[in-house]
Amino acid sequence: MSPRSLTGQSDLDERNMTGFLIRRMMQMALALLGVSIVVFALMHLVPGDPVRVALGTRFDQDLYDALTKRVGLDKPLIEQYFSWLANAITGDLGVSFRNGQPVTTLILERLPATVTLALAALLIALVVALPAGIISAVRSGTPLDYTVSAASQVGISMPDFWAGVMYILLFALTLGWLPSSGYTPFSNSAWEWARHLVLPALTIGLISGSIITRFVRSAVLEALNQDYVLTARAKGLSEWQIVRRHVLPNAWIPIVTIVGLQLGFLLGGVVVTEVIFAWPGLGRLALTAVKDRDFTVLQGAVLYIAFMFLTINLVVDIIYARLDPRVRVS
Amino acid sequence: MTEPILEVNDLRVRFGTKRGVAEVVNGISYDLHPGETLAIVGESGSGKSVSVLALMGLLAQPPASVLGSARYRGEELLGMPAKDLRSIRGKRLAMIFQDPMTSLNPVRTVGYQLIEPMALHLNLKGGPARERGLELLELVGIPSPDARFSDYPHQLSGGMRQRVMIAMALACDPDVLIADEATTALDVTTQAQITDLVAELQQRIGMAVIWITHDLGVVASIADRVHVMYGGRFMEQAAVDDLYATPHHPYTEGLLGSLPMPGPDRPERLMTIPGLPPDPVTMPSGCSFAPRCTYADTDRCLQAVPPMELLGNLHSTACFYPLAVAR
Amino acid sequence: MSGSTEFDRLATKPVSRTRETLQALVANRLAVAGLIVLSLLVIVGIFGEVIAPYGINDIDIPNRLTRPSGSHWFGTDELGRDVMSRVLIAARVSLQVGFIAVGFALVVGVPIGLVSGYYRGTIDSVLMRMMDVLFSFPAILLAIAILAVLGPGVGNAMIAIGLVYTPIFARITRGSVLVVSGEVYIRAARSLGAGDRRIIFRHILPNVLAPIIVQTTLSLAFAILSEAALSFLGLGVQPPNPAWGRMLAEGRNFFEQAPWMGIFPGLAILVTVMSFNFVGDGLRDALDPKQKSVIESRGQSV
Repeated sequence: MSPRSLTGQSDLDERNMTGFLIRRMMQMALALLGVSIVVFALMHLVPGDPVRVALGTRFDQDLYDALTKRVGLDKPLIEQYFSWLANAITGDLGVSFRNGQPVTTLILERLPATVTLALAALLIALVVALPAGIISAVRSGTPLDYTVSAASQVGISMPDFWAGVMYILLFALTLGWLPSSGYTPFSNSAWEWARHLVLPALTIGLISGSIITRFVRSAVLEALNQDYVLTARAKGLSEWQIVRRHVLPNAWIPIVTIVGLQLGFLLGGVVVTEVIFAWPGLGRLALTAVKDRDFTVLQGAVLYIAFMFLTINLVVDIIYARLDPRVRVS
Repeated sequence: MTEPILEVNDLRVRFGTKRGVAEVVNGISYDLHPGETLAIVGESGSGKSVSVLALMGLLAQPPASVLGSARYRGEELLGMPAKDLRSIRGKRLAMIFQDPMTSLNPVRTVGYQLIEPMALHLNLKGGPARERGLELLELVGIPSPDARFSDYPHQLSGGMRQRVMIAMALACDPDVLIADEATTALDVTTQAQITDLVAELQQRIGMAVIWITHDLGVVASIADRVHVMYGGRFMEQAAVDDLYATPHHPYTEGLLGSLPMPGPDRPERLMTIPGLPPDPVTMPSGCSFAPRCTYADTDRCLQAVPPMELLGNLHSTACFYPLAVAR
Repeated sequence: MSGSTEFDRLATKPVSRTRETLQALVANRLAVAGLIVLSLLVIVGIFGEVIAPYGINDIDIPNRLTRPSGSHWFGTDELGRDVMSRVLIAARVSLQVGFIAVGFALVVGVPIGLVSGYYRGTIDSVLMRMMDVLFSFPAILLAIAILAVLGPGVGNAMIAIGLVYTPIFARITRGSVLVVSGEVYIRAARSLGAGDRRIIFRHILPNVLAPIIVQTTLSLAFAILSEAALSFLGLGVQPPNPAWGRMLAEGRNFFEQAPWMGIFPGLAILVTVMSFNFVGDGLRDALDPKQKSVIESRGQSV
């Protein structure tokens, strides 16, 4: 809407983009600060003495004293928070109440499995969602569109734990094609790695794909109804040329947002799917920590996942700005 | 007289809606000759835009159904295979639209959108295409075309964007330019600039222009002939001066009366036409203007559709009781 | 305040669209199907014990793990309990958790959104940054973390799910309030000297109800999904009470012998969630075609 500025166009753009980035990063820093308070509060809101609760029946006075000192529970709350925060910023998230291992190490150990599953699931989701969403928008109102919409509605409503269990029943127990659970590192055997990956990735990927399909469909449909599509038709472009050159470049902008959001939560570990397939990812680490009352591990995992989530959102915003010339150059 | 470049015959457009069939265009016919400017004037909902979208093959069918005939250089456009029609559209028949704010793709540069029809129809790419693009921008009066070439639409003002639209339409030297309410979304000064530009380009290039508008004021300065459209039919067709001087149809009279005119004999107040345009789903069986017409009588006007009759030098009207004509 | 009745009338116009909305909803076949299924579910939820052919804990060891048959339509579990009876009776707790959790999110989120959008400024920034923080966690993880503090159980699960769904109500309400506040009748009411409370409740709230209603329906779907997931993980409904998610988790151990133990509770979840989604989509199309909230809600909660 803004009229063209007459001078210094490119300088202005650079400055605006940088300003935008700085604003977004400040917002993210603020959110992270809030997240850190919530995560810190997790342990201290637990009624009673968290270390005592964590140790439970394995109570041992020496261990108790050591852990209390390590966590700094003997100090005032504010001081505890800031020393915890300072440590967290340097990558020290404390040690597990359960086995004394550094929390950072535990998280890093779980990272390859989580990243593998997240990327595989996203790949499946995109391979399904992009063609399905685009075709059902371009052919909207046809039986093909209804079929795609119905399938994605089922996917969106699908409990992931049920889908996973059904896949195991079919592909592992009945047909025997794939292992029912577990994880093999790529370095051990690429073949086994892939075989173990298929079912969990399918479980979460198809649900994620259903969500993305709906979003792609509505983004493409919205772009198709714009006036510039009529202009393109009047130029004599064919339907698919119009979709490729004019509709998709506009539709990408909202699609990137939902894909980023999905990736953000996939990288945070998909708790239920990981539990079903005994997948050694971050989500299962967090759940085990809850069951073991291992608060330092829970804190570390939750902080890390939220950090990942926020970072992805920031990256998405940057891509968004790069894709949309109205943000990029204004 | 030369052969007409475009012959439209009994063009009808219907839309299937939930309430029933909407008869939006109800049999219009006209010829367009090379180099001529034809204005089609009517209120919104009169079917004027739909009629040109129909002959360009730009209406989705269904919900629309298009009947009748529209020939370009003798070739029937309606029902032509999509591929053949696409090779005419944008090349021989070009079109510009109402809102330049939304008619350009916001994520493609001006240059990209300008070169696109040349690459498609003339196989012109790279350097030569860019050169022609710059020429066109210059032609439509855009200052420093080189800089604008890589701009995005949002960096241009509304008037500049409409100039870009015109440049795009002219990219392949069309025989016919259809301007669909091309100045409606612009402010008054810019409107005049754009109409002048089209008139000037027409002189230079020699294309025919169909100018669709609801504004008789815009028409006066550029059109050769005017067709007044109402309820999907032509009410009156005449040379522009004739129409202004002696309107024969009550609807035209009403339209002219609602127009602010300079001059000594202007009326005290602007006239308005009472009532609303007809609902295309329940078209009156007689003259579509009869329900709002002060001259209408119940017998003929509400019963039968008046035929288009030639009443003077190329001046015809569809009215049983034409004005300013000795009966 | 002479002019205020006129503005009251204008302001409440959207509510009198109820009939139109219902007509549009009835025209949407999927929404009607969803409504019918949900009505049946509510009946089952209320009269579960009467409808169910067996008690939830009628143990019948000789008939354990029997496949679906005339006497046990959904088969029996490892203790010979009737799977269908347990599925039917578990409907109640799912609906309860859904309604109470979403009710919690409504009661907390909507006022936050109203205040934020109406007063703007510092209070808006503070509240919205707080909502951002809650939005920074994947939904299920946040619920798990909250349950880690509160301890597992069905009541705590309601609070956890309610908290997770609060920010979306705050955001949607705030967004609509921002739009509505700019409308002429709000400015007019303000210029006539109407108080903040009157403006918010008489003029703004009725006009922002549509997106809130749509979001409520869709959130019910995902709240039920979340409850099932938490119960599956052992953090929600505790034994011996049946819950769909927990029945599935227990069924996993007998999956090869008795797949029906998992199939039917899962189907129950799917059908329930899908029905709420159909009704929500239908409501959205009828009330508020521009809203895309289903994506946002689930985008957070897979």
